Amino acid sequence: MKLNTDMRVNRVTDEVWEIPVTEKAGMLVPARIYATPGILQTMDRGVFDQVTNVACLPGIARYALCMPDGHWGYGFPIGGVAAFDTRSGIISPGGVGYDVNCGMRLIRTDLTLEDVQPKLDRLMTELFRRVPAGVGAAGFIRLNRGSFEGVMTRGARWCIEEGYGWHRDLAHIEEGGCIVGADPSNVSDHAVGRGINQLGTLGSGNHYLEVQVVSSNRVFDSETATAFGITGQDQIVVMVHCGSRGFGHQVASDYLKIFEKAMRRYGISVKDPQLACAPFRSPEGQDYFSAMNCAANTAFANRQVITHQIREAFATVFGRSAEELGMELVYDVAHNIAKVERYSEGDLLVHRKGSTRAFGPGSPDLPWDFQKTGQPVICGGSMETGSYLLVGTDRAVSETFGSTMHGSGRTMSRAQAKKSIRGEQLQQEMSRRGILVKAVSMSGLAEEAGVAYKNISDVVETVDRAGITKKVAELRPIGNIKG
Amino acid sequence: MHSYQFLDDIAIADLAFRAEGDSVEELFHAATEALLETLADPSTVAVTWERRIEHVCGALDELLFEWLSDLVYWKDAAGVVFHEADLSVVQKDTTWTLAAVLRGAPVDRTTQILHNDVKGVTKHLYEVKQQGMRWYAQVVVDV
Repeated sequence: MKLNTDMRVNRVTDEVWEIPVTEKAGMLVPARIYATPGILQTMDRGVFDQVTNVACLPGIARYALCMPDGHWGYGFPIGGVAAFDTRSGIISPGGVGYDVNCGMRLIRTDLTLEDVQPKLDRLMTELFRRVPAGVGAAGFIRLNRGSFEGVMTRGARWCIEEGYGWHRDLAHIEEGGCIVGADPSNVSDHAVGRGINQLGTLGSGNHYLEVQVVSSNRVFDSETATAFGITGQDQIVVMVHCGSRGFGHQVASDYLKIFEKAMRRYGISVKDPQLACAPFRSPEGQDYFSAMNCAANTAFANRQVITHQIREAFATVFGRSAEELGMELVYDVAHNIAKVERYSEGDLLVHRKGSTRAFGPGSPDLPWDFQKTGQPVICGGSMETGSYLLVGTDRAVSETFGSTMHGSGRTMSRAQAKKSIRGEQLQQEMSRRGILVKAVSMSGLAEEAGVAYKNISDVVETVDRAGITKKVAELRPIGNIKG
Repeated sequence: MHSYQFLDDIAIADLAFRAEGDSVEELFHAATEALLETLADPSTVAVTWERRIEHVCGALDELLFEWLSDLVYWKDAAGVVFHEADLSVVQKDTTWTLAAVLRGAPVDRTTQILHNDVKGVTKHLYEVKQQGMRWYAQVVVDV
């Protein structure tokens, strides 16, 4: 098998591959990659280099992991999972990602394709108007520093208090939409300046809002799907992919600078400057953790405000309230975050970067209605191919620190994608295939063409066969909004 | 003389460019134009917003990094995209000073051709160097 690395990669199972500690000086634990042989062969060299760099970081537990949607990232690979002892280990902004709490949200409806198809153009226009996207877009909520601090500390709870959502939404958001320990005093004025006008905005790049349909023949586990509010039968759902916008990025950039200096003080050396880190228990580590939690809460709030706008748009177009339309939140999951969780080794700081928490049935972190099923896991594919709803498993908890994939993963650079297709052409082709796209930037649209991504079904099959999540339903796009 | 080009294979999920110029100032012009173009087509952006910016730095690579990060900051903080930047870069003893006037307009998707919402400038494979008589920079921006 030809791989993009000179390192030895041993087969553990058909879906799990291990790079032993002998393959790179300084590795403290082996690196494990979840992939089929076919996916492993398409993984870029960065995945192998970076996951083994992560395996060298102080305090790392068990394995440095990479999911099948993995590809090169800043410091850590996208798709990376690494857990560190909270007493002796580190925290790294590179392990969280610049877009702190970038994540996925899925909203169900009682509408069917038959209801929506005749009004799809109007619906997408209304959504495009209500959910600002693209460069420099500002949200409709005007905040001062004090109220923005409320967003940072209370996250989606702040939104509910302000009337942007329903109280029961909170139970269906990871951490109840509000992570404790967020301290705005550790956030720079620069970060506040960038974030204060962005609440309720989508951003650009791979972020999107998508109207999707769930067909009965694409529901793989009807019992779990029903528990998640998914009936199939050409049911309409709405998916949102976005994060903490410029605010989270500035928090990460600020602390990378601080950590570059702190590493010298703590005698830590790393293989890549983007792996800059500090001991988790150090003042710098704790300051970043609390600032990162501010950004995570802001991302939960961002998706909550967008949800409010989505509900308003549907109510306007269909002439019924969002409650009458059954627009309940299925779930909201982070895929760029670091959290303290308890495993057999004790309390670990689990970094997930382009990886989703995937807790199995009975987890005390899940609400009562998901106790029997396990946690919903929302994975976004390319805008042309569709997305998946999965469910977490006990095996994920025992094997991968309760983690799984997050999306399909790129195989082609943005610059290459733009050379291979024009945005206008892609928009017309998708329209012919029944997917209505509204985009702020045509060049940005071309960069997100399906050809630039792995086939998400292949990635999903890998985690399903590995048992770290199970398939529930496939979601097919019919309308897409991009920045 | 200065120029820039976007790079295909440096950052699979993001964007990268190489800028070059006959002088440090020309290099800064090239990198600025690359970043402005990454955000929006500058020819479609009017001039209704202006900001004076000054930076003093001991290291030239840090100075360019700070300046490019400023563009990203003002894009978000003021909700603008840019038409142009007048700038000068002067070395005195061991410090470099950048003085610039950044010009642009509030984002307006009805009149401007918008491109990518850059979230930040990164230090991944970042470099500023002189080869012979020419200055080069490689920059990866997170989108």
